[in-house]
Amino acid sequence: MSAMAGSEHQVAAAGRSGGRDRLMLAILVFTTIGFLDAAYLTYVHYKGFAALACFGAHSGHSSCETVQSSAWSELAGVPVALLGLLGYIGLYVSYYVSARLDGELGRGIGFCIALIGCGFSLYLTYRELYSIHAICEWCVGSAVCMTALAILTGARFLRGDPAAVAQ
Amino acid sequence: MASRKEQKEQARTARIAQQEAVAASAQRTRRIQILGGAVAIAVIAIVVAIVVSSSGGGTKTGSALTSGSAAKAAAKLVDTELANIPQSGTTLGSPSAKVTLTYFGDLQCPVCADFTTGQLGGGLPEFITKQVKPGNVKIVYRSFCTASCNNPSVSNPQGLFNKQQEAAYAAGKQNRFWNFAELFYHEQGKEGTPYVTDSYLSGLAKQVPGLKIASWQSDSTNPVYASQVASDNTLATKYGVNATPAFVVQGPKGIASAGSGVLTYSDLVKAVNQVS
Repeated sequence: MSAMAGSEHQVAAAGRSGGRDRLMLAILVFTTIGFLDAAYLTYVHYKGFAALACFGAHSGHSSCETVQSSAWSELAGVPVALLGLLGYIGLYVSYYVSARLDGELGRGIGFCIALIGCGFSLYLTYRELYSIHAICEWCVGSAVCMTALAILTGARFLRGDPAAVAQ
Repeated sequence: MASRKEQKEQARTARIAQQEAVAASAQRTRRIQILGGAVAIAVIAIVVAIVVSSSGGGTKTGSALTSGSAAKAAAKLVDTELANIPQSGTTLGSPSAKVTLTYFGDLQCPVCADFTTGQLGGGLPEFITKQVKPGNVKIVYRSFCTASCNNPSVSNPQGLFNKQQEAAYAAGKQNRFWNFAELFYHEQGKEGTPYVTDSYLSGLAKQVPGLKIASWQSDSTNPVYASQVASDNTLATKYGVNATPAFVVQGPKGIASAGSGVLTYSDLVKAVNQVS
């Protein structure tokens, strides 16, 4: 992944006399954590809840099991964990687009995906708190990543081309 | 006065500045367009996802499932009622309980639903709280076809009855039979209508906390549950059951019929006292 965004890093680094693009680094860290989280939840969804490691308990079942088996764990028959995973893959693709093809468009796509992910994650967290009455730490983890990414990719979009900023 | 060369240089500088200004303006316009598009797409996508998810919260599948908030309330009610009570197959309560209440039921039976959900004086919720939870009594559910077999809207009523009961028994393999059955009764469709479909059953299963759907689906077709439904029918015939819900109590003092219909809590306690 670092190779994908590598050229942007290089441009930024050159433009800032050796400075590092810490914003992009933070974005990559949150994207990777969220990607691994969503990949684990997708695996558990298809493999079975026995593989689900969870700290909370809810009426004799693990709270993650309760959330993962609730009516809100799927959207039109598609597991929301899988949708999250596709969202993180989409973010990686957007970083590639911004680095290699069209910086402005890539940053816009990344912000759009993160905004969708953040909005829907917040809705699902609301459902966990007020409808399911159980919390899944893995789901909250992904929601935190998406919220951070919405803020960071928004800042990245508004900042524009790092090379132009440095000039 | 500027020389000709200087004038040319000034003109060139002005032209470049103008070009840069035009380019910067175009870039700003493009950025605003992308930002607007991204926000608009995100808002639309979030709204659509929330609408689909909300409608799927309770009415994901099967027309008989209640609305999102009602299904949510039912799931919470059942979860709370059955919390911390041991389940094994179709048995609810401590295996060491001295008295056993056998409940003959049909998941499409509205009278069973009244009894199970506490409507019209139905005493099951109170009985579970006051007698089953402390370990005095355990309840064993048995199948007996009544409303399902009188359903004129389906071509094979007995087959559908078997299928729905077996689906509930399959949840029992994961010790969640009572969650499934109670949700069925809470979200039961109108009697005599063809609301029991594959999607209705899987919709219910998805509301059962912790039920592994893939295992439940494969277990639903396990012939062992077809045999169990058949043996339940044999047992009902042996006890002279001809309606649902019907009850038989068994304890240290023997076995007795507890009657049928929407029994109240005191009816049930009276029956239990006869044999304990």
